[in-house]
Amino acid sequence: MDAGSGAQKAGDILIRAFAKTGRYVFIEPMIPAEINPPARTRAALSGVIIRVADFDLMNIGNNTDIILAAHEVVLDRRLDDEEHNPNCRVLLDMGDKKLNEEAYESVCKRVSQLGLSIYPFEVVEEATAIIKSFGGRGKNMYYLGMLSCIYGAPEDVVIQEIKLSFGKKLDETLMSKNVSLFHAGFHYAKENIHFSYEIAGDSHKNGKEKIFIDGNSAVSMGIIDAGIKLISGYPITPASSILHTLASVFSSYGGIVHQAEDEIAAIGTAIGSYFGGVPALTCTSGPGLSLKQEFIGYASAAEIPLIIVDVQRGGPSTGMPTKTEQSDLLAALYGSHGDNTKILISVGDITDCFYAPHLARYLAEKLRLPVFIMSDFQIANSYKVLDKLSVFQMETIEDIPDFIFQHFGLSRLPDHIEMVRTEQADPGTPGKMRRVTGLNTDESGSVNYFSMASQRSHAIRNEKVHHVRRALGKPKLMGREEGDLLVVGWGSARGAIEEAMRFCQQEGLAVSGMCLKIVYPLPLMLKEIFSRFKKVVTVELAYGDEYKIPPLAMFLRSQTLVDVEAMISGATGRPITPRMIRTKVQELLSGCAVR
Amino acid sequence: MAVLSDKSLPENPLTLKDLNTENPRWCPGCGDFGVLMGFKRFLVDEQLPAHMTVNVSGIGCSGRVPFYVNTYGVHAIHGRPIPVALGLALSRPDLNLFVHSGDGDALSIGGNHLIHGINKNFNCNLIIYDNEIYALTKNQSSPTTRKGHPTMTQPKGTFLDPVVPIMFALGLGASFAASTADWLPDHLVNTLKAAYAHKGFSLVHVYQRCPHFDSQNFDTKSSAWLSFLTHEKGIPPDKRFADKAEIIVHDPGNKEQAFKYADSKHTYLGLFYCDPDKPRYDEMLQKRLAETPPRPRSGILDGYKI
Repeated sequence: MDAGSGAQKAGDILIRAFAKTGRYVFIEPMIPAEINPPARTRAALSGVIIRVADFDLMNIGNNTDIILAAHEVVLDRRLDDEEHNPNCRVLLDMGDKKLNEEAYESVCKRVSQLGLSIYPFEVVEEATAIIKSFGGRGKNMYYLGMLSCIYGAPEDVVIQEIKLSFGKKLDETLMSKNVSLFHAGFHYAKENIHFSYEIAGDSHKNGKEKIFIDGNSAVSMGIIDAGIKLISGYPITPASSILHTLASVFSSYGGIVHQAEDEIAAIGTAIGSYFGGVPALTCTSGPGLSLKQEFIGYASAAEIPLIIVDVQRGGPSTGMPTKTEQSDLLAALYGSHGDNTKILISVGDITDCFYAPHLARYLAEKLRLPVFIMSDFQIANSYKVLDKLSVFQMETIEDIPDFIFQHFGLSRLPDHIEMVRTEQADPGTPGKMRRVTGLNTDESGSVNYFSMASQRSHAIRNEKVHHVRRALGKPKLMGREEGDLLVVGWGSARGAIEEAMRFCQQEGLAVSGMCLKIVYPLPLMLKEIFSRFKKVVTVELAYGDEYKIPPLAMFLRSQTLVDVEAMISGATGRPITPRMIRTKVQELLSGCAVR
Repeated sequence: MAVLSDKSLPENPLTLKDLNTENPRWCPGCGDFGVLMGFKRFLVDEQLPAHMTVNVSGIGCSGRVPFYVNTYGVHAIHGRPIPVALGLALSRPDLNLFVHSGDGDALSIGGNHLIHGINKNFNCNLIIYDNEIYALTKNQSSPTTRKGHPTMTQPKGTFLDPVVPIMFALGLGASFAASTADWLPDHLVNTLKAAYAHKGFSLVHVYQRCPHFDSQNFDTKSSAWLSFLTHEKGIPPDKRFADKAEIIVHDPGNKEQAFKYADSKHTYLGLFYCDPDKPRYDEMLQKRLAETPPRPRSGILDGYKI
């Protein structure tokens, strides 16, 4: 639909209804970076991609089986993504046909040339009248009705979700008009669309309570559960929704949301809070990460704990704010000047998002270093159904449970970690006045430019990272411990790799998968694991070509001296699908070149 | 107003000696020595517990101040001490916060933070050490360098008219704006006391000598070029080292008049403006926290149940 027509809302209601009726869903919103781009233009495309199944879903899946488009322009634009199945069904609203008959004909022709089936439809008269009374809005409810019918979502459940979604702010008359639109769409589909999809509706019956949540909300709730008390950020897509989520609830849990005047101030305020002994976090995305770099190095040198959430988006520069990419790896790792140390945790699913703040806080306070939580647009905005997660209500880092270490594949750090400065007391502690600086100091905290003092500080800061390196266990392998090919990814690539590996292994291919949860440092035995495969390749959403090695591959090569190549690396802004991986693995293992 | 307060001293009173750390690495004759001494005298006079005091600074000669006072301290990065101080103000309202920043640090690289610090009016005391030059990086033009003054980056004379810190502060709605000078110790201490007594973002602008790069800027022998603004709600004049300075009664509630003094070619010292009622951002957030009924964290995921 055109942006602003409520496609996201309709999608949201539909997936909630699916989830309520025991289906598993995974949703990826398609959002333009602008608020209201001109209607009926290619830039206006706003929508949702929904995957629904009777089994647990880890990713958005391969290609679409059904496309519903509000008019010919958005359909044409969506077909450009080439994400449709060969037997994809295309439902096209013909309502705008009189505005551009030629374009309608041409897009219908395109659909048939692609071998897809087209289902032209119209909004029935009674619904058109309501839409007119809404000033042109409300088509989303009609489409919602159609899709609910096609996918067998019970009317009463959807209506309940519509009511919940609009809340109390909508009066009775308006609400009933929306419901009428939904009914009209539902009945239109029932009478006129002669295909449907049946997805078993009781797949949640493992006896556990289910939640339905997106990545950024999970990070936000994780922040509360980890006992963090201040979040300081500056508006930036796609990290802002963490601020939004916490803005309405954080004070109930003793937390402060601070919107800073700029990205640099935001991280400075988090550092100030943590110097005061109060756990704080800053969240940002690409351009903000660039701006924060000086303070990140400062926190490392001054030994002030710090947590940074980086929700990656398409770069470079302003790039594609509402598209996904994994291209900040090296900027996060090496971005600040000089040798500065940090830890990078990546999140590959909702569970990771919820528990990453706990681990980040533990590592940040234990090591007094900056700790990154690396997320991305896709994981931040994707909703899914999962078993309700356990909450731990951390007060101090001593409260962190073993479960979280197991989840991220590392053990607890030694009790004593050496610091550059002996004194690390929080303000308010008498007699232990601690003064920090970005200048080099000796163990007393005095500024010291002597050669051995600088060497010592570097060694101690790096030893903190080595503690984590040694604490890291063997990353979980999807598949056998040896074989022809190892596919390595990080973050949001995990779900697609898992699904592709299952398929390839069923086909008898000697391929295994690995998805790193702690991206820096890497575990010590990684080279040994790599050596058991004939070839190691990466799957990553960052640009690479014949001469350009994308970030993960470059990083793994540098750390292991194994000839790691990128199997999938791209800057399309679209998520990696299991099928892309499968096809590439099949090509590779039948002797084709990597690219 | 007497410089030394007459309030009864605690059992182990804070002394100047308690505040000593190491010898400052400043040039002989640097005005920073005067500000540092005045600051320590102020801490002793007010008996602010050293462990409850945090000095936050940026980069520059003045950036080193936290290392020369035995309290807690954060020597942050260039231009950014104000956001760091805000983090402390929000999370630790129990602490006394002092920000030490230079003219380049506060008015150039950190200008945005100064705008928003003033606007947020959070409780801290900003001391701008204005020596009208980038000194630590060795003689480049700063936002307050006088027009025509030759520097390493503008050797034929600085191009622009200087930024006027008090005008900047008043224009942005500062709740407290005062000027003093490093060579007038009593005036400096009393200005810091007034700044500390004011709850909000107190901006103290200090004319500070740099013997190395602009030693001619401030003629401390003759004082006819400056005047003291004074008032019962203001800061007492200090003629000890400024006997020719005129004394003018100025109500710090009179913003219009404050602008006139700030915009003048003549130099005025004292409290230009004070608004004790300006709302404070830190107070608002803390009030919100205090007034929000707490919810148990056990239920944080309940809203996401299906």
